[in-house]
Amino acid sequence: MRLPTQELFEKYQNNLYAVAFNVCRNAEDAEDVVQDTFIQYYSIRKQFDNEQHIRAWLIRVTINKAKNMNRTFWRKNKMSLEDYMETLLFETPESGELFEAVMNLPEKYRIVIHLFYYEDYSVREIAGILKLSEGNIKVRLSRARSLLKDKLQEEWEYDE
Amino acid sequence: MTNREKYKQAFSVLHTSGRISLEEERMVIMKKKARFQATAAAVAVCLAFAGGGSIAYAADIGGVQRTIQLWVHGDQTDANIVYNANGSYDLWLEGDDGTRKELHGGGVAIEDDGTERPLTEEEIMDHLNQPEVDYREDGSVWVYYYDQKTDITDRFKDGVCYVKVSNGEKTLYMTILYEGGWCSSPHKYESPDSFR
Repeated sequence: MRLPTQELFEKYQNNLYAVAFNVCRNAEDAEDVVQDTFIQYYSIRKQFDNEQHIRAWLIRVTINKAKNMNRTFWRKNKMSLEDYMETLLFETPESGELFEAVMNLPEKYRIVIHLFYYEDYSVREIAGILKLSEGNIKVRLSRARSLLKDKLQEEWEYDE
Repeated sequence: MTNREKYKQAFSVLHTSGRISLEEERMVIMKKKARFQATAAAVAVCLAFAGGGSIAYAADIGGVQRTIQLWVHGDQTDANIVYNANGSYDLWLEGDDGTRKELHGGGVAIEDDGTERPLTEEEIMDHLNQPEVDYREDGSVWVYYYDQKTDITDRFKDGVCYVKVSNGEKTLYMTILYEGGWCSSPHKYESPDSFR
């Protein structure tokens, strides 16, 4: 099955943008990645099992393209993470601190923790998207939680 | 609040700016530009392996126009190119349907000591003549390098394909991740994990 690109764009653009930003840490690069991801979807005739299959594919392509973007050292008049954060309207100061703490994690931890807490994927599903073992994902998730706990103290609970 | 609720609240501030377009003509043009960006990525990887530093790319406009011959999808095509003083280029060529296509790219090289300089014309031409990986609408995957066209659709194993391409003078070893980018080296096949 396939769904219209426009429909997917309206539904998932902000989710994919958050995933791309999580990897790129730059707004312009993240938008380019989202655009490229939808171009990729538009350009191929791959058939999918269902909408969740499409969503997982879009996220996987977004992550790959975002990683590629980081490797190309593509240059624009980039805004620093700190400057960009000042343009964001966080609901509470704690939200801003959590955002900053996550963005300062190593990339391999950032993306796992984002897929788990924001996209609600299970360890098994994340392993499928990132083509890594479940054990590897569990280790990354555990280390990321530990780093966030160290940084955020009482603002971040111990959880499984 | 649970950690998940806190996380979602924090990251719910991220929204696209609205400049992304799904208008069909723009999608087609952007698809072509995306190919060239992917090529630029490969150049950066190659130079890094050669120990020659890394390369950064940007998009800007200005300079002197020349006519060059460019390989596009295995066919040699005349194109007009403007090399700009800042290392960027603007390129125009006639598409298969007779319409004029525009491509832009370029950038700066970063020397080992961290200083930046604009890309030279030779470096830009090297980047334009890099191999191209094309995912066709029929689901097939092709590699283009100068006049070579290779169907690699059935050569992927566990999502990875290794292809050697050559123009008679220069040989490149390509490692291609299905829908996940590629890199090449003049020396050996790089591990997919090195750029996954």
